[in-house]
This record gives sequence, C-alpha cells and structure tokens, in this order.
Amino acid sequence: MSAKTFPWNGVPIAFRDGETIAAALANAGVRTLGRDPAGRVARYFCGIGACQNCLVRVDGRVVEACLTPAVEGVPVESAGEPTEAAP
Amino acid sequence: MSPAPVLVVGGGPAGLAAAAHLAAVGHAVDLVELRPALGGAYHRRPIPGVTPRPIGAESETRWARLVAGIDHPAIRVRLRTGFLGIDGAGCALLDDRTAGRVEAARPAAVVVATGALERVRPRPGWELPGVTTAGGLQVMMKETGRIPEGRILLAGSGPLLVALAGQMIAAGRPPIAVVETGDPLRRPLAGFGLLPHPARLVEALGHLGRIVAAGVPWLRATALETIAAEGDALRVELRDRRERRRTLFADHVALHDGIRPNDRGFPEPSVSAADRPFVAHAGDCREVLGVAAAEIDGARVGAEVAAILAGTSTTASKALARLAAERRVQAVLTRLFAPAIPPTPIAALPRETVLCRCEGRSVGDLAELLDGSDAPGGREIKLSGRFAMGVCQGRFCAHWVAEAAATLRPEATAPTAGDLIGRRWPARPVSIDAVIASADRSDTSPSPER
Ligand SMILES: Cc1cc2nc3c(=O)[nH]c(=O)nc-3n(C[C@H](O)[C@H](O)[C@H](O)COP(=O)(O)OP(=O)(O)OC[C@H]3O[C@@H](n4cnc5c(N)ncnc54)[C@H](O)[C@@H]3O)c2cc1C
Ligand code: FES
Repeated sequence: MSAKTFPWNGVPIAFRDGETIAAALANAGVRTLGRDPAGRVARYFCGIGACQNCLVRVDGRVVEACLTPAVEGVPVESAGEPTEAAP
Repeated sequence: MSPAPVLVVGGGPAGLAAAAHLAAVGHAVDLVELRPALGGAYHRRPIPGVTPRPIGAESETRWARLVAGIDHPAIRVRLRTGFLGIDGAGCALLDDRTAGRVEAARPAAVVVATGALERVRPRPGWELPGVTTAGGLQVMMKETGRIPEGRILLAGSGPLLVALAGQMIAAGRPPIAVVETGDPLRRPLAGFGLLPHPARLVEALGHLGRIVAAGVPWLRATALETIAAEGDALRVELRDRRERRRTLFADHVALHDGIRPNDRGFPEPSVSAADRPFVAHAGDCREVLGVAAAEIDGARVGAEVAAILAGTSTTASKALARLAAERRVQAVLTRLFAPAIPPTPIAALPRETVLCRCEGRSVGDLAELLDGSDAPGGREIKLSGRFAMGVCQGRFCAHWVAEAAATLRPEATAPTAGDLIGRRWPARPVSIDAVIASADRSDTSPSPER
C-alpha cells in the first residue's frame, strides 16, 4: 500500500484513510504541534475535541487535529507561530 | 407524528438508542455527531482496515443492536457536525465541518446525548506535550489500532485505568506502571457489591488478571505529584501513603481522575412539556452510569420525548429499575476507588502549576487575583482573571478554579464551575469563516469564539 501523505509545516506525513491529523502526527513522532493561536504550545490531550489544545490550521481554518481527518495533499500548519522544535 | 424533526446530538449508545426509538414511532430524526464516525466513548470504531479490539460478547451484541436500530429511512445521520446550542430565537445551531458552515435548524425537540468528559486533576507538568488523558490515549488505540511508541505510564484514579492497562497488555504493549490514588484491594467488602453483577465482575477480574500476569506494577495508594520534561523523556515523581517517594521516567503519561457528565454549555433540560424545542438529556451527559445504562437511558428518553410531542405521557418503571441497578454498580466502583491518599488541594499546589491549560494561567495567578479585601467574584475571576475564558470554555479548569477560589477566599461566596462556564451558546468554539459562510443562509448571527 503506497502511503498517502499530507504536508505538516511542509514535511510530508503518512496517514491511512480515516485517520485524524492528530493520529497521523503522533504516529510520525510529532507531539509538539507548534504554537496555537493563544501562543501556547499546541499538543494532543483529550482526543475528543473538548480541550482545544490541539489546534492546527487546515486550509486557513483553525481546527482540532483530533477531530479532523487527514486528506491527501491538504496542507496542515501550526495555528500560531511555529516553534523551533519542528518535527 | 410531528412535522419538524427531532435533533439527537451525539452518536454514542444513548444517542443511537434515542434516535432508533423516535424513528420507530414515526418521527424524522437528525442525528448529529462531531467526529467522523459513530460510536462514542466506549464503542469507538476503528478506521477502515483496522480490526476492532475484542470487547466481549455483551458489548458486541449491544453495538450490533444499536447499528441495526438506526438503519431506518427516517433517520438522517450527519457526521462531523457539532451542535452549538439553541439561540434566542429557538434555533438549533449546527456546525457542519464538512461543508464549513453553521446552519440554523428548527427541531421540535433536542436530545442532548454528548456523553462524559474525563476529570483530570491539575499537577505541575500536566500541560506538557506527551501528557494526555487516559481517554485520549484510548481514542488513538481504538481508532488506529496503534499504541504510541515508548514507555507509557497510566496515573490518577478509577476503573478506566485498569481497563486501559488490560487493553494495552492484550495488545502486547503493557504500560510501565499504573499509579492509583485509591486502594481497591484494601476494600474487599466493597467489592462484594459487584457479586450481583457477574458480567462486570468478570470484566474487572479479567483486566486485573492480565495486569498481574504481565507483571505490571499497580501502585495503589500512590499519587503522581509532578511531571517535568527531562531531555526527550518525562520525569515523574510519585508519593505513596507512607510518604515514600519514587521517580519514574516515561515517554507518555496518561492521566485520568474519573469522569463527569459532558453537559456544560449545552441547553438545560426543559421543565415544561410546552417548551419548543423541548430539550432532554440522555446517557452519560445526564448521569454517568456507564455504557449499558446509556443505551437504556437513550431509549427511555426517546420514548419520553415522543410522548411529550404527542401530548401523552409514558411510564418508564422498567428502564428506571435497570438504571437504578447500574447506579449501584457505579456506587460500588466509587467506594472501591475512594482515595487512600488525599489529593493535594488545588490551592496548595506549587504556584507555577497551570490551572487553565488554554492560556497558561496558574495557581499563583489565581492567588494574586484573589488577594486583598475587594477580591473579585465568579464573573470577574473569569473576565479579569481570564480563568475559564480560553477556547475550551473552562471544561478542564472551571471545577478546579472554583475549588481553589473557595479555599483561598473562605469568607466569600465561592463561584461554582457552572458560574465560570455559563450555559450560553456556542457550546463549542466555531470558526469565524463558518459563521460568515452561514450569514446569508439564516437570520441568526452567532458570536464566534475563535
Ligand atoms: C475515556 C472514557 C472511557 C470510558 N470507558 C468506559 C468503559 O470502559 N465502560 C463503561 O461502561 N463506560 C465507559 N465510559 C463511559 C462512557 O461515557 C459510557 O459508557 C458510554 O460511552 C456513554 O454513552 P453515551 O451515548 O452517553 O456517550 P458517548 O458514548 O460518549 O457518546 C457521545 C457522543 O457525542 C458526541 N458529541 C459530543 N459533543 C457533541 C456536540 N457538541 N455535537 C455533536 N456531537 C457531540 C461525541 O463525539 C460522542 O461520540 C468511558 C468514558 C470515557 C470518557
Ligand atoms: S486533543 Fe483535546 S481538542 Fe483535540
């Protein structure tokens, strides 16, 4: 199975159909998701869209990485300023 | 039969059972679910191509029954659609994540079946990347069939930690330890309360047996006090009942201190049968009674709503008796897992401990805010202190801010978590784009939070 990917801050991340952005990033060993709009370090916590700690930007829109399915080729970026601790 | 559909919010067992019942008696039903798949907390489904983990015959049968129940032409299932609340005009606002817009609907009734949320006590370092809720770890496991690489520590309190450890062991990836503030083995008498419920007892003993057989340390009467980043790892400090301390290193820490209804920010249940839309709560968002009860409660509330809309009444004595039995099971579990080492009061945590995960406001910030004679009340704690003001709308801090405020200002009337969160819509943050996209489709103008 040739892996589908999406760019995360420009770096290709493999994912499987139906997988959320958060799951794909976790599988790739990425756990610091850059800065969120409040300037805090974005990261996965509750997994169900309640804590709002995993905010990323998809197509210009700020969404929860844990609720949003990855789509082939659709870029995902940190929602705020990127941190030095890139993947 | 009513012309306007009934809106059912949440695709867990309570929502599915409610939808099935309403459709069966002739109502059109819109069933909305935030996630890309139905299932809810317990029956979370794996992504295509991943084999579901075995959950036991009783649960497999339940899921098959729930799925069969919503296979009805009158039920429209809308995934990736979040319920935001009911506006002043009585419109239910729905955030359609696929279409990227907010819609206003006019349902005859709304069944809120949004399940439970985990309680997680603040501890120094709980905000670090690599620290998740136990449920967050379980979401990854159930949906992807994968467990993150590295050493995983489970800590906090409650039967879910035992269940999660059992599932990880069954998947070949045991946690390095399970840290539990209670001491269930010291309360064997309480455990007898499960004897009338053999299925629960067997399930619990199964998980415990796996933990013992795998040699995973179950550190009871032990509290996880602090987490700190050390290189790529997390350094974790533990303290037990006899004040013995120990340090562990892990790559992931999954925290969990029980669950509570996910009802905050949603409209309250209607008290008058004449209310339109009539609002009812079902399943764990009404009362945390577990998965078997959620199905029973969903069907019960479905029947109640149908009766209200028809102007008749129902008697649900059989359902209520079964819910009472599930309540007894929960009471036994609560007794078994009662803290054997008292948790550090929030106000006594180190000042730098983060309370508000969204904006990083700390115990020290709260103490400063509440210092002095004209210290603020609940609304000002929120507005000027910015506690419970972040994008999660206080879901993970309001409870603890309220507790700490009561300790720090014993003479003042303490704010409740409800005061801090409020019940105003939107119940969830919604993107400004989605609201703009909806602007020319409806006469409502939701106030965006993001
Ligand atoms: C982490 C965790 C583990 C659990 N483990 C167990 C267990 O092992 N055994 C047990 O008996 N119980 C367990 N529970 C309790 C569990 O809540 C119930 O057993 C059962 O899942 C409750 O069913 P429900 O239908 O009430 O809610 P859920 O199954 O939680 O379903 C609620 C659904 O509502 C959706 N939703 C939430 N907000 C919105 C919104 N605004 N708009 C649209 N949709 C929304 C959610 O995405 C979810 O799919 C667990 C709970 C949690 C949180
Ligand atoms: S991890 Fe909590 S909202 Fe995504």
